[in-house]
Amino acid sequence: MSRIVMRFTGVGGQGVLLAGEIFAAAKIKGGGYGVKTATYTSQVRGGPTVVDIQLDDEEIWYPYAIDGQINFMLSVADVSFQLFKDGVKEGGTIVVEPNLVHPTEEDKKKWNIYEIPIITIAKEEVGNVITQSVVALAIANTMMNAIDEDLLIETMLSKVPKKVHEANLKAYELGKKYALEALEKGPSK
Amino acid sequence: MSATREIISSGNDLAAIAAVDAGCMFFGGYPITPSSEVMHTISDLLPKVGGTAIQMEDEIAGVAAAIGAGMAGVRTLTATSGPGISLKAENLGLAQMAEVPLVVVNVMRGGPSTGLPTRVSQGDIAQAKNPSHGDYKSITVCAGTLAECYTETVRAFNLADRFMQPVFVLLDETLGHMHGKAVIPTAEEVKAGIKPRKKFEGDPSEYRPYDVPQDQPAVLNPMFTGYRYHFTGLHHDAMGFPTEEIETCRKLIDRLFRKVDEHRDEIESNEEYMLDDAEILLVGYGSASLAIKEAVNVLREQGIKAGLFRPITIWPSPEERLFELGQKFDKVLVVELNQGQYLEEVQRCMGRRDIEKLTKTNGRPFSPADIIEKVKEL
Repeated sequence: MSRIVMRFTGVGGQGVLLAGEIFAAAKIKGGGYGVKTATYTSQVRGGPTVVDIQLDDEEIWYPYAIDGQINFMLSVADVSFQLFKDGVKEGGTIVVEPNLVHPTEEDKKKWNIYEIPIITIAKEEVGNVITQSVVALAIANTMMNAIDEDLLIETMLSKVPKKVHEANLKAYELGKKYALEALEKGPSK
Repeated sequence: MSATREIISSGNDLAAIAAVDAGCMFFGGYPITPSSEVMHTISDLLPKVGGTAIQMEDEIAGVAAAIGAGMAGVRTLTATSGPGISLKAENLGLAQMAEVPLVVVNVMRGGPSTGLPTRVSQGDIAQAKNPSHGDYKSITVCAGTLAECYTETVRAFNLADRFMQPVFVLLDETLGHMHGKAVIPTAEEVKAGIKPRKKFEGDPSEYRPYDVPQDQPAVLNPMFTGYRYHFTGLHHDAMGFPTEEIETCRKLIDRLFRKVDEHRDEIESNEEYMLDDAEILLVGYGSASLAIKEAVNVLREQGIKAGLFRPITIWPSPEERLFELGQKFDKVLVVELNQGQYLEEVQRCMGRRDIEKLTKTNGRPFSPADIIEKVKEL
């Protein structure tokens, strides 16, 4: 496998960190290398946050995603989308929360942009906004085929409290469903 | 090969786990970004092994409590970031003077002052050498990988007890917060390697804690165990009582230097990466070395033979090896996330001024591309 480089962006407090840790841990459990870094501002809530995830079969030295090498980005805040979109490879995949992120026509030409209402799914369909991290995890993995799904779900469950296992499994299934539907429909033009 | 295990964790968590595995039984501190996870994690771990973690009212009290535990004979830790070291400085000087072992983890962030709380920096290299006033010899180690956040913290505890003084473990925001795989020794292996501090076993009436050879640290038995001595930051005699006697004062400071200087071989640790056939020498440490290694690999694919020398023990610096490398390499580039704090040391050790530097102080890490570009300009 060549290196998979993903970037999750949002604003502080949305809880996008966990998905990165789950990805890295699952890859390592499968015998490879995974690294997650998070960059955020000193604002407790509301500052742009970026989580970089790199997965490889070879050792990874530099822990941050390198601009121009990012295969996949997921964004749930416009400020972060605008700030970090240029790191994504031309023709790469970007998933945005359409209620909060507003890509331009030009953006849609440059990248494959899919609009999936991640927060609405977590809030209304799962019933717990905190599960957006797992919805995002499922979307990213479905689109990138990064990790064996069973291993990823097992790792995810090991990192969340037992009482919310069911909600998070539901979040994963919904994320996967929406991602498959989006892929079938094709990127937004 | 020694027994190892694989842990998926962050640098800060690994430092906390290492402390507990190394026998640390006390933590005193105050939370500060980007080091707070060290405190969170050790607060969870210590009570489970019968230890104590206390959040004190501020940074100063945090280190004071840690020093107190050290005086009582237990392995002790405090963790903070640069602004916290500034506040702790006076007490760190006391621990140097009175010879109290403790480990101080500093997860570096942008400075000076409150600086850039959530952003990476290597701006505390000079501070770690002399955080407080007066003459003493710092022992400072600097982790460059996740695994070293663990192994260097373990080593720091053994060094602190061997040399009876504070030992700094430098991490930085990148290492402290990055999350990934670390292959580290098993807890049993670490426990088996613990070298406790020396104790005086003779008759308490003959106990003279500071009456030791000029190249050796004080022998401080735990307080309240029947071995009485005086504890002070003033110049002191063999029993620890304040004195201004000329020869005693001279010998005390001389000994604080010589106990470290004459045993550098027990302290020094370096990594040499792709150096054997290298034509360009890069010097870097801490998280910057991750970008350097990536850059070295890319440069070599392009036919440019670069190599990295990475001091793991920052203070005392690897003087001899740096001198040798300075003789061997024509082109030398120091890469660090400050304005050149270690560059000056490299210049001194190599006895050369014609050393290039690549520095950054905007809170952002080096990318491999920054380094590749600079090397090509040399």
